[in-house]
Amino acid sequence: MCRTDQVPNEPSDRDQDAGATDAAFTSLLEDSAEELYEQAPCGYLSTLMDGTIAKINNTLLDWLGLPRQRVVGRMRFTDLLSVGGKLYHETHFAPMLRMNGEINGIALEIKAAGGSRLPVLVTSKVKTSSDGEPILIRTTVFDARDRRTYEAELLRRHREAEEARRQADADRARLQEALEVLQQSLLPATLPAVPGMEAASYYHTASPDLLGGDFYDLFPLDGTRWAFFLGDVCGKGPKAAAVTSLTRYTLRGAAMHDRDPVSVLRTLNAVLHERYNSGDARYCTSIFGFLEPDGDRTAVQLASGGHPSALIQRADGSADYLPTPGGMLIGILPDAQFTTARTVLSRGDTLLLYTDGLTEARIGPGRDLYGEDALRDFTRAQPPAGPQALVAALTTLLTGFGDGLDDDTALLALGIPATPPAAVGDPLA
Amino acid sequence: MIPLKIHTRGAATGPVLEITGDLDHATAPALRQCLATVALTPGQCLVLDLSGLDFCDSSGITALLTARSLATAQGADMALAAVPANTTRILRITGLDRVFVLHPDTETATRPPDVPVTGDRPA
Repeated sequence: MCRTDQVPNEPSDRDQDAGATDAAFTSLLEDSAEELYEQAPCGYLSTLMDGTIAKINNTLLDWLGLPRQRVVGRMRFTDLLSVGGKLYHETHFAPMLRMNGEINGIALEIKAAGGSRLPVLVTSKVKTSSDGEPILIRTTVFDARDRRTYEAELLRRHREAEEARRQADADRARLQEALEVLQQSLLPATLPAVPGMEAASYYHTASPDLLGGDFYDLFPLDGTRWAFFLGDVCGKGPKAAAVTSLTRYTLRGAAMHDRDPVSVLRTLNAVLHERYNSGDARYCTSIFGFLEPDGDRTAVQLASGGHPSALIQRADGSADYLPTPGGMLIGILPDAQFTTARTVLSRGDTLLLYTDGLTEARIGPGRDLYGEDALRDFTRAQPPAGPQALVAALTTLLTGFGDGLDDDTALLALGIPATPPAAVGDPLA
Repeated sequence: MIPLKIHTRGAATGPVLEITGDLDHATAPALRQCLATVALTPGQCLVLDLSGLDFCDSSGITALLTARSLATAQGADMALAAVPANTTRILRITGLDRVFVLHPDTETATRPPDVPVTGDRPA
């Protein structure tokens, strides 16, 4: 109130004037302590120490929808509360009040007019006599509907956020699982046993988040022949994986009917070219071949489509490429040409197929290309101890490349052990 | 890693793209975007000058094939000029040395058609 602007200047009159002004305002507002108590914007009640309601204001009676005579002297504070409110009052509210003499802003529900529940915030304070004995409890009751709505909204939003987060976690886990299953479907779980032969493989994906584009397989055809392939689909990720899947099953299917590796690659070329000719060009490189084991020797016939030449480690310690020059990328041209080659593996010989992750690796401080010559020299330096030993040595070599190995890498080695494997279960052994 | 830079200029035979730096998984999309803006008319030859190419992986090879497809679709030819040894090696392994038209340098690649061209052959 800006009294100083409205009262006379004489200091001696100030106190008298102030009292008069307050009275004027009070009468102007038709307010009084009694009026304020009864019509306050909150509920007031006073109870005896046993909870019996001794005094209650009109505001609270209106909320309750009860006449004064049914409440005062007849009901206890807890009679106004919902069942949950009664319990909470008994277990927390009353003990805290007894202990501390006051309790602030406790959320309770009262049974309001019309049978509804009214959320309220309750504050109580114990009035004591001059000798410190508690004589009554004064309580204020605030309507907390707005606040409860706000809290409910906050809670709802919180639950929604929690649900969204849980859903996102579940989606991520499902996607990861799908990627793993898909990746595994692109590679054989185990390599089959080929009579008299040994096989070994290695697979490395440059990024665990991206499906790799390298693939290989080894599978039986008719009991006397086996087929194998290894290749590299351009690109990475789901689109490359779809090409890898199509490539793998096309090669497996074609191998059943074709005895010529070039025909098998031509079939794959036709399938990929037809599927991916328009727009999003997808292609792969691959070596596909047949094995015909016969005693100590295995005849190998293979064909290459744009893939680095296979390397053969011989029992005498030499190692040389099996050239397949001129074989083209598979899936680019309708009339692509593929190059075939034949060889025979004897005891101690190993045929190595690899993807360019190995030969294109960048090594040393100058990030120089590892290259085909280095791979041949490395293989020459290894004892001819069979496919598993060669793949183990190459795995160590690749691990040593560290960051230089920035592409996917697959290895498949097929050979005939220098000493025949122990003939387990052979009655003549 | 050497950043990819592409400089486009015109020649009597058509547009010439001078490509320098690394052409790989990360940078190949930039070449594709650039190719989409190159205007070709039937009979022209799109020349990719690779003399400044430091590195080219399978994604880079794919981008070169995309360039060839785009040129073919517009009735134009496409040629590679001054291909570095490493990339020549990859083109040989993948059989693409018989798919792309290769020139020793851009001068040869952009020689007007009335002058006899050696090494050129239909794609």
